[in-house]
Amino acid sequence: MSSFPPTTIISKITPRGEIAAVTALKWLREMMLIREFELRCMQAYQDKKIGGFCHVYIGQEAVAVGTLAAIEASDPVVTAYRDHGHALARGMDPRHCMAEMFGRIGGCAKGKGGSMHMFDRANNLFGGHGIVGAQIPLGIGLAFATKYEDEVINGGTSKRVTLAYLGDGALNQGSVHEAKNLAGLFNLPVIIICENNGYSMGTAISRGTTMGHDIASKALGYGFEGVVMNGMDVLETYTAMKELVDRVRATSRPAFVDMRCYRYKGHSMSDPRKYRTREEEERYEADDPIGRLKAHLEGRNALTEDDFKAMQRDVRTQVRESVEWAEQSPPAPVSDLYRDVYRERWGPYTGSSDPEMLGGSENQAGFAATDPKADLL
Amino acid sequence: MNPMPVQVTMPRLSDTMEAGTIVRWNVKEGDTVASGDVIADVETDKATMEMPVFDDGVISQIMVEAGKQVPVGTLIAIICIEGDDAASATAPIAAPIAAPIAAQVAHAVAVPPKSAPHIAVAPNAASAAPESPAVASQENRQRISPLARRIADELGISVAAMRGSGPGGRVVKQDVLAEAERIKSGASPRGDLVHVASAARSERGAVVAIGAGGSEVMLSGMRQAIARRLVESKSTIPHYQVSMRFNMDPLLELRTMLNVQLAPQGVKLSVNDFIVRACALSMAAHPFFNASWGGDRIIMHGDVNIGVAISLPQERGGGLVVAVLREAQRKGLREISAETKALAEKARVRGLSVEDMAGATFTISNLGMFGVDNFTAIINPPNSAILACGAAVEQPVVRNHQLVVGHEMQATLSLDHRVIDGAMASEYLQSVKHNIENPATLLV
Amino acid sequence: MTTATMREIEFRDAVREAMSEEMRRDKRVYLLGEEVAQYNGAYKVSKGMLDEFGPRRVIDTPISECGFAGMAIGSAMMGLRPIVEFMSWSFSLVAADPILNNAPKMLYMSGGQFGCPIVFRGNNGAGGQLGSTHSWAVEGLFSNVPGMKMVIPSNPYDAKGLLKTAIRDDDPVFFLESERLLSMKGEVPETEYLIPFGQARTARAGTDCTIVSFGRPVNLCLEAAESLEKEGISCEILDMRTIRPLDAGAIVRSVKRTGACVVVDQSWSFGSPGSEVAALVHRECFDDLDNYVHRVHTADVPAPYAYDLEQEYLPNARRICEAVRSCLYKA
Repeated sequence: MSSFPPTTIISKITPRGEIAAVTALKWLREMMLIREFELRCMQAYQDKKIGGFCHVYIGQEAVAVGTLAAIEASDPVVTAYRDHGHALARGMDPRHCMAEMFGRIGGCAKGKGGSMHMFDRANNLFGGHGIVGAQIPLGIGLAFATKYEDEVINGGTSKRVTLAYLGDGALNQGSVHEAKNLAGLFNLPVIIICENNGYSMGTAISRGTTMGHDIASKALGYGFEGVVMNGMDVLETYTAMKELVDRVRATSRPAFVDMRCYRYKGHSMSDPRKYRTREEEERYEADDPIGRLKAHLEGRNALTEDDFKAMQRDVRTQVRESVEWAEQSPPAPVSDLYRDVYRERWGPYTGSSDPEMLGGSENQAGFAATDPKADLL
Repeated sequence: MNPMPVQVTMPRLSDTMEAGTIVRWNVKEGDTVASGDVIADVETDKATMEMPVFDDGVISQIMVEAGKQVPVGTLIAIICIEGDDAASATAPIAAPIAAPIAAQVAHAVAVPPKSAPHIAVAPNAASAAPESPAVASQENRQRISPLARRIADELGISVAAMRGSGPGGRVVKQDVLAEAERIKSGASPRGDLVHVASAARSERGAVVAIGAGGSEVMLSGMRQAIARRLVESKSTIPHYQVSMRFNMDPLLELRTMLNVQLAPQGVKLSVNDFIVRACALSMAAHPFFNASWGGDRIIMHGDVNIGVAISLPQERGGGLVVAVLREAQRKGLREISAETKALAEKARVRGLSVEDMAGATFTISNLGMFGVDNFTAIINPPNSAILACGAAVEQPVVRNHQLVVGHEMQATLSLDHRVIDGAMASEYLQSVKHNIENPATLLV
Repeated sequence: MTTATMREIEFRDAVREAMSEEMRRDKRVYLLGEEVAQYNGAYKVSKGMLDEFGPRRVIDTPISECGFAGMAIGSAMMGLRPIVEFMSWSFSLVAADPILNNAPKMLYMSGGQFGCPIVFRGNNGAGGQLGSTHSWAVEGLFSNVPGMKMVIPSNPYDAKGLLKTAIRDDDPVFFLESERLLSMKGEVPETEYLIPFGQARTARAGTDCTIVSFGRPVNLCLEAAESLEKEGISCEILDMRTIRPLDAGAIVRSVKRTGACVVVDQSWSFGSPGSEVAALVHRECFDDLDNYVHRVHTADVPAPYAYDLEQEYLPNARRICEAVRSCLYKA
């Protein structure tokens, strides 16, 4: 039933560069952190500590870690709703990420966003976004803005590259097609990365997308290049991505990436995964990106089993502490309900403030009785 | 004028009463009742009480069946007050509640009608749709715009009987202003009293044809004030009366003696002065007679300010004023007498000031000088009671088991039943009787 | 300001002046939309702007509202201040997700991190026999969404002052113009001025009835008030200028004086600014009302093409007069 090519073929598509062991160890830890974080999210969700929707990233860790390692801190990033991995890989403290899941004031969005809306201005993460495909127009807008700032306002040359992620399920949204057209039309320095895990929720790519076996070629229709990458091997992902980022930065031309990967868990917490076989899952699980990198580092004598176990303990401790921290963060207060609706204060709205993560203080001062804007609706 | 529904709610019949049980209805739907009729017996937390009505009309609906307990304030019946229009007064009564609800009138009755169909009203239909005759004939609830209600309150105009020019007879701003204008240009030149005429008119009802040789007497401001206050009193206060006869012989003897002895000092005590003193002294033990109904509480007054009704000569426009003797509980007979005379003189010559008439906490009306045997008076709001005194009549009386000739006076208390119960009234009268029949107590 | 500095210009000129002045003042401001550059604007609002600001700041887009609206929002998150021209607000419906789901909610769902200083502007309301799909009045539909501001000027002076404020505003602003007003002439000062949001303008003072309106219908209200004056009815017309924020205080103060209120709103009645005003007045002025708040809206049907039908469909002076008379029990 699966029309999805096996990973062994994909690994031949992109070369694996020589990565310093210390860098690879760092990525290993990042991927392990994401996986542990997601496992604890699943647990917390089942304990009803997390509400609403929750989409975990287990299996796709190499994509976020490998692609984000290839860009600069000043490069903007925007993604979809399966966004915890990107937030952590981009540098968000897992405490704020977990607190957001828990709906606590210490969350990156003060508990107002939730699982699908991880934002981190300090790390240039412009959000996880919930409506499928909606983040791609935003992403090309980020690229438009960097180019406009660099060239029109500052009179220099375009320096920044934007990464805009989507899943393969978003490929057929009109907004994505419109955005691709505009990116090509306006020569925007953006890389649209399709995390192609083969399934749009429960619909295999071949059932919903024309040319599902070669979505990268569709970029040509919009006048820019499409690249296939292996998202199951972080070294390959990084190497291929770095080369593409450098090119896009230099040419200020957009690019599209068909990033082959696999999600080990369901689309969301309520997904029984009846649409695929256990054999298929096992095949990918046997080729786990974390296991791959571990084996690679062991092969280079850069990692022992004891090192790995120590790293695992370390990651577990960090995530446990994040959960504890999140639990101790107060629930988003009702007094905050009318904050952050508008920048301006008027009527019932109390202006906006930065979250704790950015050092924002909770200034709860209300209106003076004589506030001229108090009687506005 | 159409009949108007008046809501009868479960009364708060004791200070601690929160709910009451209808023990028995004495009336049924369609019965005609008059103010004061006991329409039901109500069991409170303390006792089984009689429940009088305060309006004349027809019981149009009984909402709570006998045996059922409901909280104070619950709508238990509706009385349809009869208007002038005989045809509409005899119209079916149970339905009218439905029409106002459908027409979204404020204060809609919360109880669904028994038989009337639910009438859905589309937005804007109130002004757009032609008034259905069926609905119109059942229309007997007052409709008034919030603004018109506010203006009427401010100008003191009674709107109870007005039928307005708005949809469904809604009283609107222009109706109230027109009414105010009519009153101003007609009966009363005094703007602050415009409400009186309207109250009086609403009491009288529609225009009465003047027969041959008849004429109209325009109301003075005072007449209007009297009309308004008394209508308000009689229609809102649950009056009842308790009478008692006093042996006046000791008092008359004492009075004769005192007046002889004090004549050189220009003092002439009236019987009424003794009665004032007697009533004032009895207040100490019976404070509810020096109290006012406060809606959800009873206001106890400290000083006893006794209002004395004084009739005015025709050259001062006739009528009746109530002069107030302040702190009567502290005053002796001589002081009471002097002050009363001064007030009466002032009333007849110059007229009393507002201060002279304000603040009474209890009132005495005495028609003894006109030879009246007995009568009942209407409570002077916000008092809780008024004492009506007849003449001290010489008559055969039984004293010490002997038939003898003596003087007796009948005094009748009118009481606000919300404040004072019958037993309390009897005790107070006995206290006054004791003071009158042992007049030395009035001297010291 | 003195009359010496006033001159008469068209509504479209006022809009263009506001954009050009703000683009000269702030390089972060740019204009994009269909036909705004080389074509000089489908309605000539942006005429000459390409020549002054060049193609990097006055940008022709393809017919791709969802894409370019979303792109502009992304750029606003980065701190640019885009002006997005919708040739008609009717076309904004295909951009509903970015303009309703992203722009107004970004600040909230990012916990105060990312605002969206953007202006969406274009023609709103029936243009004249354009048929159902092109005659949208989006006031009711869009003002329902918290996080956005909605501006709807009725004349050239307000259009300029309000648009300049909109461009400088840190929150997303929906700026509703009218094809039927673009050629309207009015006095506009040469000197710079801004009109703050949330301040209604008394378009006409009166004593008997408060008429609350916004946008093009304000002019119909003025027409109606002229004729009602001859009947001895004195109307006070409030031009709200902004629907969000809504100057509730001005409405309440006026209605407390007049005791009567008619709302004239060119959007459909169900769930509209008109119903919001009616609810406000009933809540705040209940004891001051001599009648329920009367409302004049477009008829609750899709916009018809036929001329006569469309005339009856839209709010007009006759219907406003009828509503005022009815509200005052003079019908």
